[in-house]
Amino acid sequence: MIAPVAKLGQGVARSIAWLGALARFFFETLVAARWLPRAGRRVAFRVLLKQVWFTALQALPIIIVLSSILSFLVISQATRELGRLGATELLGRLMVVAIVRELGPLITALAVAGRSGTAIAAELATNKVMGEVNALEGMGIDPLHYHVLPRFGAVILSVLGLIIVFDMTAIFSGMVAAGANGMTGERYFEIVLASLTFHDVWLTVAKALVFGVIVGTIPSFHGLAVHGSPTEIPVAASQAAVGSILAIFLCSGLFVLLLV
Amino acid sequence: MTEPLRFEGIALPGHRSPVTLEVPEHRAMLVLGPEASGVDALPAYALALDRPVTGRVLVFGEDIARLPRHSALAFRRKVGYLPAGDGLIHNLSLQDNVALPLRYGSDLSEREITGRVRIMLTLLRIADAAARRPADATEEQRRRAALARALAFDPALVILADPFDGLTHRAAAEMLELARGGETGAGSRRTVFMTGQSAPQALEPRIEVRYRLVKGELQRLS
Repeated sequence: MIAPVAKLGQGVARSIAWLGALARFFFETLVAARWLPRAGRRVAFRVLLKQVWFTALQALPIIIVLSSILSFLVISQATRELGRLGATELLGRLMVVAIVRELGPLITALAVAGRSGTAIAAELATNKVMGEVNALEGMGIDPLHYHVLPRFGAVILSVLGLIIVFDMTAIFSGMVAAGANGMTGERYFEIVLASLTFHDVWLTVAKALVFGVIVGTIPSFHGLAVHGSPTEIPVAASQAAVGSILAIFLCSGLFVLLLV
Repeated sequence: MTEPLRFEGIALPGHRSPVTLEVPEHRAMLVLGPEASGVDALPAYALALDRPVTGRVLVFGEDIARLPRHSALAFRRKVGYLPAGDGLIHNLSLQDNVALPLRYGSDLSEREITGRVRIMLTLLRIADAAARRPADATEEQRRRAALARALAFDPALVILADPFDGLTHRAAAEMLELARGGETGAGSRRTVFMTGQSAPQALEPRIEVRYRLVKGELQRLS
């Protein structure tokens, strides 16, 4: 009788300890930014650019494809169904709320977490196992400055940029879908733009920042948490992906509960 | 006078009796010991990358372990460090690895850094391999690049962990000479502290002080 309760308690305690360690890592990274030497900013900026290249620019094709297909499917069916009911004005709200504000940030963050989050965790874990992190410390270079801060900044910028690309592509793909179902481009843009409010834009940007922080922090945390065995590398990558995806969904739910 | 490096009553992993060791200025010192004997912990203790259970380590009179993190990091940049293996960053070329500490911790312009790196690479005879990533370089080239990186700031103290492992006698001798940084009236220009399992006999005349760890005790070798 007691064993299942004890197991549940252990699980909860482990989760709380994980959250505490993650929060500590996040604040240590923020504090470390204060001590980044002036010359070190150049080095960190180079790492940031490389990470943006990998996380944002190389991810553009997959984001554009996902966004186009999703938007085409939703809008072509919605145009038909709403047209039958004589409520095509609702198409704008559907596009803005469902795709631009909710699915755009969610799918983009999931794609970045799956693609770059696992790569960051695996790379940092490999660096730790290969002794690079220890060597950096020995040379007086803070691994938080060299490895974590630039990736943190790059992921936030990349998620923000990719969400903008996702939403723009979705709007244009929606126009093609609506056009295929007999709606003119002018009419489509009229109802979509009429439905877009400042609140939607603000919420999308806020989500981009929060999801960027999640994908910038959790993979780095798991990557640097390995102790030195190569078998820990895939485990770190997997934990990073699962942790990031879970956190993204939880935060997405919190946004709906608190801010919509 | 303050010694460049002093281990005071530190307990080596797996041994009870504390060890005290002074590394004299302008000398090369080597501490030998079998694998996992605890000797390999000394470089990490010296730079406060790891802390001994008892005792303390003073570098130029300063206990790095007691410094705030950012001060400890800045202090370590005064010491050259070659970790076991090589510790090179694998997604950077050998020349970028050598330039990294200069780019991060000095106000030199990119042109000055490039010039200094080129000199270091030429001195260490790896100029031809400068653009290679560590994975494309030989073990000797990697070790030479790691030493060049350790000497980038021209430090007064150099700490080398297992520096001769897997090197030819000739390469080991060259590495030692470069680590010493030339000769002055008082001895070598730099103070060199090394640990390892073995060292080529040919190097003995160039290593003034040698110890071997035997049953937890450091025995000075003649």
